[in-house]
Amino acid sequence: MIKKISSLFILFSALFGLQTAEGANVSISAKLDSVNVLMGTLNTLHLEIVENKGSNGRLSLFQQIDRARGYAAVCGDSVELDANFTVDTIELGSGKVQLNYSIPVQAFDSGTYTLPKFVYYVGKDSVVSKSLTFNVYPVNVTAEDQIAPYAPAFEPDGKRWYDWVPDWILDFWWIFIILVLAICAGLYTMRNYNKKVIPFISPKPQPKPWEIALGSLQRLKSRKLWEQGMEKEYFTDLTDILRSYLYERFGINAMEMTTRQIMDKIYESDLKDKKDYVKQILNVADFVKFAKVRPLPADSIAAYENAKKFVEETIPAEKEDSSEKSIKEGGEA
Amino acid sequence: MSETINIRELNDLIASKASFVSLIRSGMDRRIIGQKHLVDSLLIALLCNGHVLLEGVPGLAKTLAIKTLASLVDAKYSRIQFTPDLLPADVIGTLIYSVKNESFEVKKGPIFANFVLADEINRAPAKVQSALLEAMQERQVTIGEETFKLDNPFLVMATQNPIEQEGTYPLPEAQTDRFLLKVVIGYPNKDEEKSIIRQNITSQSSPITPVIKPAEIVEVQKIVEKIYIDEKIENYIVDIVFATREPSKYGLTDLASIISYGASPRASISLALASRAYAFLQGRGYVIPEDVRAVCHDVMRHRIGLSYEAEANNINADEVITAILDKVAVP
Repeated sequence: MIKKISSLFILFSALFGLQTAEGANVSISAKLDSVNVLMGTLNTLHLEIVENKGSNGRLSLFQQIDRARGYAAVCGDSVELDANFTVDTIELGSGKVQLNYSIPVQAFDSGTYTLPKFVYYVGKDSVVSKSLTFNVYPVNVTAEDQIAPYAPAFEPDGKRWYDWVPDWILDFWWIFIILVLAICAGLYTMRNYNKKVIPFISPKPQPKPWEIALGSLQRLKSRKLWEQGMEKEYFTDLTDILRSYLYERFGINAMEMTTRQIMDKIYESDLKDKKDYVKQILNVADFVKFAKVRPLPADSIAAYENAKKFVEETIPAEKEDSSEKSIKEGGEA
Repeated sequence: MSETINIRELNDLIASKASFVSLIRSGMDRRIIGQKHLVDSLLIALLCNGHVLLEGVPGLAKTLAIKTLASLVDAKYSRIQFTPDLLPADVIGTLIYSVKNESFEVKKGPIFANFVLADEINRAPAKVQSALLEAMQERQVTIGEETFKLDNPFLVMATQNPIEQEGTYPLPEAQTDRFLLKVVIGYPNKDEEKSIIRQNITSQSSPITPVIKPAEIVEVQKIVEKIYIDEKIENYIVDIVFATREPSKYGLTDLASIISYGASPRASISLALASRAYAFLQGRGYVIPEDVRAVCHDVMRHRIGLSYEAEANNINADEVITAILDKVAVP
């Protein structure tokens, strides 16, 4: 008797449940594009929901979607249901509409997966889809297969100005502010306590090789070395000035060259017409420096004059032009 | 221009005594085609009483050069072919028992000559090399209990073959240092080679007439000793030698790893001596930097030790010396 009552109760309950769904006029069906897919391949889950227009039902799937990751993980995180699904609404007439959901499905592990039933809630009622099973197969990779390179990274659209600033600047901006403040404080202190210090001094223009050489020759003359019997020192300094000038002006590495090597270089260069000046100086200098020779005053004077002439006659033409120009302008004024 | 009397007198003296140089050069030219540098090196070694280590492949007139020089100087010449079984007694001499006199008599070896060619010195074992090098240094030989002075002038020209190193006994650095010059000679050029063929295919060769006596060479050596070296030149020589020991101090940082050991003080002495001899050959009574540079490679190349890094990079001593000369300031 009790068994009979129980069976009747179950039958009644089932009929009542169907009636509830029937009464709500809502149905849900689910299907997959393919039941056999390769790992990583996109599969599509189609959910078709028929309901009364304006029912405003909702899918249980929406609660499962992780917005940060952009998908809902099911089957123990092995299957991903993409949040970027599409939905189409079709008017069926008689106050009914059909919602067609197309949800991308992707799995990255091989195996057989059974998707959970999808529940659609309408008010206090709900309908449940059937569960779907599909197989995911691994991709066979052989040694002969070419592995495609990484795809280039896409530049995001709509960059702001601060996107171009390196992160470490944004992270340590406060250090820069402290540094700027410290420099300002330092400059302020220097300005107040030492008036001689000027923070921004334009660098002095470097003197030209001929200016250095002519200045050195003038200083050598004023020291009156040979007049005091110091011919060796006089010729040592004179040849040093000449050698430095040859290096600075013509790139001839004369400081490390012997007389013959210097003369050879001069013969090879455009200075052939000036060779006699240099030859006289270096030859006399070799005698004085290495052979204990005391030159005649005329030799010392001639060596100085030849050095001066050599420097003056090898000043670049542009310089001469500009100096001539300035002289002319001065004269006209 | 007025000059101190010493240098002028010396210049005059050199001018009067150096005439034999051109005669020797022309005499050598009659027998040896090309190899001017070898001839000059032999003259430099002769004038400073030094010895020459010669490196070159066979057939480059090494033997002929010293033989001709000996003939031109009218000096005694001997040749020792170094072999693995050579004994020191074969070089310096030994005591031989005379049955007639019933006593030991000295049999002098080939070292008792003015010009000695030690051919392929690296083929004899170290004890023979040492015997020769000791005689070169001391200029005397002890046989039994008696010491004999070697002839003056005394010039040893030792040769080494740069190829065929198998079964040789390379001279240790300490022993190569005793040679005043190490001269590396190369092949003659095409024209020289043609002249060599023409000269050697005829059986007749003009006889060599002596142009100077050994005693006169000794006199000239004394004149060379008087050639003036200024302190500036001494500083230049010291700078060059120190640059081989401490290249970084002379802006030659790259050479620091290339040179394993620098030149010895004997290199400084040799450089000064050879520079003086070179100045004499130029007819000058004083040394100029040109003279130092002219002899620097020959004097220094066997006195600088190169590292494994240098060998790996195929850098030789001549390149190191050139780099040093290009960096050290000339007075």
